Amino acid sequence: MISLIRHRPFMFSTVLLLFVLVIGSWARVLGQGGTGPGLFTVEAWQRAGDFVADLAGSGESGSPAFASWDAWREALRLASDTLAMSVLAAGLAAIGALLTVAFAASNLVGRGSVLGSALVGFTRGVYVLTRSVPELVWALIVVFVFSPGILAGAIALAIHNFGVLGRLGAEIVEDIDPAPVDALRTSGAGRVQLLLYGVLPQVLPQFVTFLLYRWEVIIRTSVVVGLVAASGLGYQLNLDLAFFRYTDVALLLIVYVLLVWFADILSIGLRKLAR
Amino acid sequence: MGSLNAALEPVSARWRNRFPGSRAQLTLLLLAAFTWSFFSIESPGGIIHTGGVDALTEIAGAFVTPDLTPGYLGMVIGDAWTTLSFAVAGMTVAVLLGVPMGVLASGVLQSGRFRRLGVMAGARGVLAVLRAVHEIVWAILFVAAFGLSPAAGVLAIGIPYAGIIGRILAERLQDAPPEPLASLRASGASAFEVLAYGRIPASAADVISYAFYRFECAVRAAAVLSFVGLGGLGLRISTALDDLAFERMWTPVFALVVLVVGIDLWSSQIRRRLLR
Repeated sequence: MISLIRHRPFMFSTVLLLFVLVIGSWARVLGQGGTGPGLFTVEAWQRAGDFVADLAGSGESGSPAFASWDAWREALRLASDTLAMSVLAAGLAAIGALLTVAFAASNLVGRGSVLGSALVGFTRGVYVLTRSVPELVWALIVVFVFSPGILAGAIALAIHNFGVLGRLGAEIVEDIDPAPVDALRTSGAGRVQLLLYGVLPQVLPQFVTFLLYRWEVIIRTSVVVGLVAASGLGYQLNLDLAFFRYTDVALLLIVYVLLVWFADILSIGLRKLAR
Repeated sequence: MGSLNAALEPVSARWRNRFPGSRAQLTLLLLAAFTWSFFSIESPGGIIHTGGVDALTEIAGAFVTPDLTPGYLGMVIGDAWTTLSFAVAGMTVAVLLGVPMGVLASGVLQSGRFRRLGVMAGARGVLAVLRAVHEIVWAILFVAAFGLSPAAGVLAIGIPYAGIIGRILAERLQDAPPEPLASLRASGASAFEVLAYGRIPASAADVISYAFYRFECAVRAAAVLSFVGLGGLGLRISTALDDLAFERMWTPVFALVVLVVGIDLWSSQIRRRLLR
């Protein structure tokens, strides 16, 4: 509380700016018309109710998809594609970040030299650029180069998460204890040895924890990227919605939520191993 | 420094030092998973398109020559405002919904063991369901249910982000250092007063940092939601890509970078002042 008073002008302008942003944004958002009925109309909620009933299978004559063993097997196969895409993406992003993170840490390369600071600035600039663009937009760009599929989706996810992990990694590296590194240096270790034996052991546990945490995010997003990269649960979800196969949509949503929860539990378990 | 790290730290800190000596197993597991994922790649038509390399050179070339003509720049700035306003509106819903849910999920206001556990489990379950589904999937469902309306976009961001903000808030409130809380209680403070004068000040910096990080994510989400027909930077990017006009694609991408960097700087300034 004391700090709030000491920094009163800044905090005052922050609150004012937030206030203006909220008012302006809501005015902008509510001022935009849509083709659907307003959210607070009876019609809108009837439509939503119909949609939920369709998901539950009320509109279909045959048996709903989630009651069919074959449909489950197919959905689980798609889930395995989505899982593979997320693991591949996390791995590629981690490799990219680990290979570049040393250049983004000012305590390793930036100290005093113009070239070093420029290198740090450049690497961080790459991180910011890759991180600012959402995975789905990267997917739109990536499919110009790579054939749609698991790999294209994984690359799109990896580009964004490379920036996220790189930035986190640089922050971890800058917070390391310099003593072990100095001890290695005075005993004549070379640059690569300093990184491998001085920096990496300090950084890796925390980095892996963040990687696993990020993987939980990636698996949620894999579904969305699958829309563009034409693979996994996301692609099928879009197709089924387009053809009004609502019980198939419901089945895919169930499998999606199960996959996300499975990933969360697995990630918690693996994070225990990382420490 | 390390604002995001610090905000995420409590998530990982819980597991620190509990299972020493198991890192080799983890390394093996992760390597095995990564190898398995490689075998899932199927590419009947080749990994790279015919002409994929040419496309890549064109895209890279356009990076240094983005379309900055005043007319186009003006449109992109308008789009940036649309995207920002959807992000801000979504975040207001997320905060208004997530903060009360987070306080309930932390269980700090309830007395009585069973009541407390019941409220906590209920609130945590709701938060988990909200955040399990990605914002774009929410958007697709909302558009299917409500039709195309701005409210669908706002709710698509607000609902999953309420789940995430609520969870982080609950964890931080629980992890508040116990000594100041004990002295507040000893001087006769009610559960609500302990929350207001003990737990909230102790966790404010981290929760605000995290909320700003989510704000940054909301800007990206809003950009993507514009594909669903709400207008904004994402629609501008996909239109440019449809026309193969890579110069016009990079301009809105750079606008996105400006928004993200701006929020990041603002957040770190606030955090620096809250921690001092």
